[in-house]
Amino acid sequence: MTEWEIWVTIGALAVATAATRSSFWLIGHHITIPKRVQEMLRFAPACALAAIIAPDLLLGAGGQLSLSGQNFKLIAGLAAIAYYLFRRNMLETIIFGMLFFTVLRLSLA
Amino acid sequence: MTGTGDQPPGVPPARPDDEDEALWREGVKAGIPTLFGIGAWGLVVGVAMVKSGLTIVQALGMTLLVFGGSAQLASLPLIAAGAPIWVVFATALVVNLRFVIFSALLAPHFAHLPALKRFLLGYTAGDMTVALFLQRFPSEEPARGKVSYLKGLLIPNWTSWQVGSIAGVFLGSAVPPEWGLGFAGTLAILCIMVPLTVNKAALCGVLVAAATAVLAYELPYKLGLLAAVLVGMLAAMFVEETLEKYNIGKRAKSGGGEHD
Repeated sequence: MTEWEIWVTIGALAVATAATRSSFWLIGHHITIPKRVQEMLRFAPACALAAIIAPDLLLGAGGQLSLSGQNFKLIAGLAAIAYYLFRRNMLETIIFGMLFFTVLRLSLA
Repeated sequence: MTGTGDQPPGVPPARPDDEDEALWREGVKAGIPTLFGIGAWGLVVGVAMVKSGLTIVQALGMTLLVFGGSAQLASLPLIAAGAPIWVVFATALVVNLRFVIFSALLAPHFAHLPALKRFLLGYTAGDMTVALFLQRFPSEEPARGKVSYLKGLLIPNWTSWQVGSIAGVFLGSAVPPEWGLGFAGTLAILCIMVPLTVNKAALCGVLVAAATAVLAYELPYKLGLLAAVLVGMLAAMFVEETLEKYNIGKRAKSGGGEHD
């Protein structure tokens, strides 16, 4: 992306924040969201986040599927999920996952 | 005991004061335990922004204008890969959809405020703020100091996020790329994603979306990502409805739907 394209992108992201966080505030009065729509609004962010990190965790440097023990990010990512389920703490999980990843990288590479 | 009252009929009773020093302090106190975590989350996003190739000025602009960690993290690999702007925008919108539910819950408390103030309060209210506010004020009824309490949550939250994020931007540009600090962004997304995966249907959606994203990775313009969200969401809704039907069927068979 060129310099100005990145700034336009940043502007678009600000619009995305405003549209999702402020729109109901501007409408004001109470609105009940139907159950099916609530489901969509709940499921979609989890799916989007999964779709964003899956290639980083599952694909090797050349873009090919890598499910072996040589894929340190995948192993560290799975360990981090287990740690988060156990402790429910984001900061600890990030530190744990980075340490796990770094130890694997330095000892096995 | 004057009988007729002081106010003519039809005039609603005066609304309690929005601002109250004591409620502001109470809000600040309620938010304090979360501030360290918010700052650290900002730090991770700050590091991830410069590690993905944004300049320091761009990263600072992004953190100050966008103020949305998960959407920022989501946008970074897309920006780095040169995806079209509308794809980045659509992705951020989808990641932010959870805020639509939150804002629908919070907004009616403040419907009487001027539009600009409502806009700004909504813009700065993230996950943590909404949760803590609704714990303290579950009812939409007017109550003294609601605005003060919300500000007591918002302002320290915003400040610790920005301080962490700006520190991350400068820290990230000083750390060598071999450390793989960008991976911290992926780990942070995991920590947001896991609690959003609330039931079997959501888990199914997450797995389908992940598989689709990998299989469709080579699609042009990073469209694989949006395809993955769509397929994952439909899978989750299908599972949810199937499980519901199955449960209703089971209840009917066991004789009457009243008991659980």
